[in-house]
Amino acid sequence: MFLTMKVAFRNISRQKKRSFLLAGAIAFGMLAITLMNALTGGVVGNIRDNFSHALGGHVFITGREWTDAGQMIMKIRSDANLDRLLEENASQIEAFTRRSQAMPSLIFGSQQTMHMVYGVDFSEEDKLLDSLVVTHGSLDELGSKDDLIILPQPVGERLGVEVGETILIRLETLTGQQNVGEVKVAAFIEDQEELGLSAAYTSRAYLNTLLGMDSHEYQMLNMFVTDLDFVEGFARTFREGLRTLEEEEEEEAEPAVTVTVAGMPLDPMGEQEELTPWEGTRYQVMNINQIMEAVELVVGVLNQVGLVIFLILLVVTMVGITNTFRMMMIERTKEIGTMRAFGMHQKQVKRIFLWEAVLLGLLGCMAGLVLSGVFAMVVGSLSLNTDPSLQFFLNNGKITFSLPIGSVFLNTALVVFTSLLAAYWPARAAAKMSPMKALSSHT
Amino acid sequence: MAIVELENVKKVYTLGKAEVHAVRGVTFTIEKGDFASIVGPSGSGKSTILNLIGCIDQPTEGIVSINGTCTEGLKDKALTTLRHETLGFIFQSFNLIPVLNVYENIEFPLLLGKNRPGKKETKEWIEFLVEAVGLADHMHHKSNELSGGQRQRVAIARALATKPEIVLADEPTANLDSKTGQSIIELMKKMNSDLNTTFVFSTHDRTIMEIADHVIELLDGLIVKNSRTSAEAGNIS
Ligand SMILES: Nc1ncnc2c1ncn2[C@@H]1O[C@H](COP(=O)(O)OP(=O)(O)OP(=O)(O)O)[C@@H](O)[C@H]1O
Ligand SMILES: [Mg+2]
Repeated sequence: MFLTMKVAFRNISRQKKRSFLLAGAIAFGMLAITLMNALTGGVVGNIRDNFSHALGGHVFITGREWTDAGQMIMKIRSDANLDRLLEENASQIEAFTRRSQAMPSLIFGSQQTMHMVYGVDFSEEDKLLDSLVVTHGSLDELGSKDDLIILPQPVGERLGVEVGETILIRLETLTGQQNVGEVKVAAFIEDQEELGLSAAYTSRAYLNTLLGMDSHEYQMLNMFVTDLDFVEGFARTFREGLRTLEEEEEEEAEPAVTVTVAGMPLDPMGEQEELTPWEGTRYQVMNINQIMEAVELVVGVLNQVGLVIFLILLVVTMVGITNTFRMMMIERTKEIGTMRAFGMHQKQVKRIFLWEAVLLGLLGCMAGLVLSGVFAMVVGSLSLNTDPSLQFFLNNGKITFSLPIGSVFLNTALVVFTSLLAAYWPARAAAKMSPMKALSSHT
Repeated sequence: MAIVELENVKKVYTLGKAEVHAVRGVTFTIEKGDFASIVGPSGSGKSTILNLIGCIDQPTEGIVSINGTCTEGLKDKALTTLRHETLGFIFQSFNLIPVLNVYENIEFPLLLGKNRPGKKETKEWIEFLVEAVGLADHMHHKSNELSGGQRQRVAIARALATKPEIVLADEPTANLDSKTGQSIIELMKKMNSDLNTTFVFSTHDRTIMEIADHVIELLDGLIVKNSRTSAEAGNIS
């Protein structure tokens, strides 16, 4: 074993140029697939971060109930069960917010525009306040006064309003009545997501009055979890903990997720038409991964395409390896004969060639990985000033690479396997050669 | 004790439709400790007989016994093990492994076996051999850094590494000038008497043949003369 490995190792450096070319071909394939994996991995991570940032959480709970008039509305009342769940799982929750939301017309003078408005409790929105970049005005008064609004800068510009001026909010209450309110513009903020994902923010108490809810009620409970790896289980705890007995019996299918540009992570009412009214509140629990499913699907397809290209590259390389090994076998015929004469068994001869293939494959993989590392470091350090819509895939304008260690192993295993496969037949032929014929050969 | 025994051995090569009778019925024995030479003109069957003794080829007919083992019907694995345990080889064109240095080339046959001697013991033995063939200064050179004579010295040491009963050498001096060739044969003779290893070599050089104590002369695949003048025994078979 040790001997065959040693000879194989030395043989690699025998024809440096040839080994270099073969390992180089493998390295190129490895570079391509690794960059592909790392890039998609990084993009998924960035999209997830940007999404959770835009949506204000990782897990989203909404509640639905029926009014006496037979209307389904979206609302969460104070619920001892939910409070208990929040308390029990407090260690896994980094932060949570309770928000109301509306899509009102904002009116100033003769201008009006529809925009997403969140009603938030500013005292529990540290994360949000930290992330907002104020361009005009200030956020100082938000805690003390309710009828203030923060607008994304472009919205303010569209309305032609200045900080300190008052705009009208026109919306429908939960039960569908028209309602109008007045809010003073406290500040403009940078439209960070550049996709119109930035919403306007006002106090929940005030938005609730406009929507016809009590001030302690809300529509959406958003939670940031401490560890995203466990987000699914965490969401399940809440889903199961909040499910009523009837719901369990109905075993209803998970509602499909629709992501709207306005930033609503779900489609609250549009779905089942033949819904029979129920008593009390029913909850829907979503998590960021469900929203990411579509993204991951695309990424999965991309990775599979990458894998196919990688496999094609490997097959091409394999042909090269087989030919080279056949050549090596012929070149080393006399040497093989000599080794056989001194008592080297057939399987040991085979092993020398196979070790060479493995070493070559591993060398190629390592070179490919190192090259991708260098490439990722160089490209990852560039700040890209691209089209705003691309920013969603980036992390603060930078391309991020994130490589799951599993795919490195998988790709390496694939390379080693194909090299072995490619070398197998020449190796076998070398082993099967008669020592006498091998020794009398003139090469 | 006969360490090599051939009994009515024939070897026929088929080249397409043509049959070449390389060896046409040969019977002889070589005793332990012999310094035996197989001589004869080109094509007389010297290499064929050495290949048969060396278990890298098998006879078409007849029996070849090496160190008491009849090779008839043995599979490749058994033959390989037999070669490893009882035989050493020296080739006309040296056949050193180019990626290994002098020390490693000599050590190589030892590493092939299952039950190897200890590390220290191995080292001492290899160093003894390197010394014995006069290459102590070239221990870590690769074969392409050596002259033909030096290479053949390495080959002699390598052939002796596993302490084989028999060392076979097919025209070991053919690629060397006559002076170097002479010294190579003398070295072989020295090893033969120092280690009591049986040597069988082929040559068509008369002067070299004279050092042998057992000469088998071939012509067209048949023995024309078999004379043994062993110093110790003195008996001619
Ligand atoms: N593998 C083979 N296939 C066919 N014929 C062969 C083969 N090996 C040897 N022969 C033939 O057998 C005969 C004996 O060959 P061999 O090599 O034993 O002779 P030799 O005495 O060693 O000759 P030389 O002094 O040239 O080496 C020759 O006629 C040769 O052509
Ligand atoms: Mg010959």
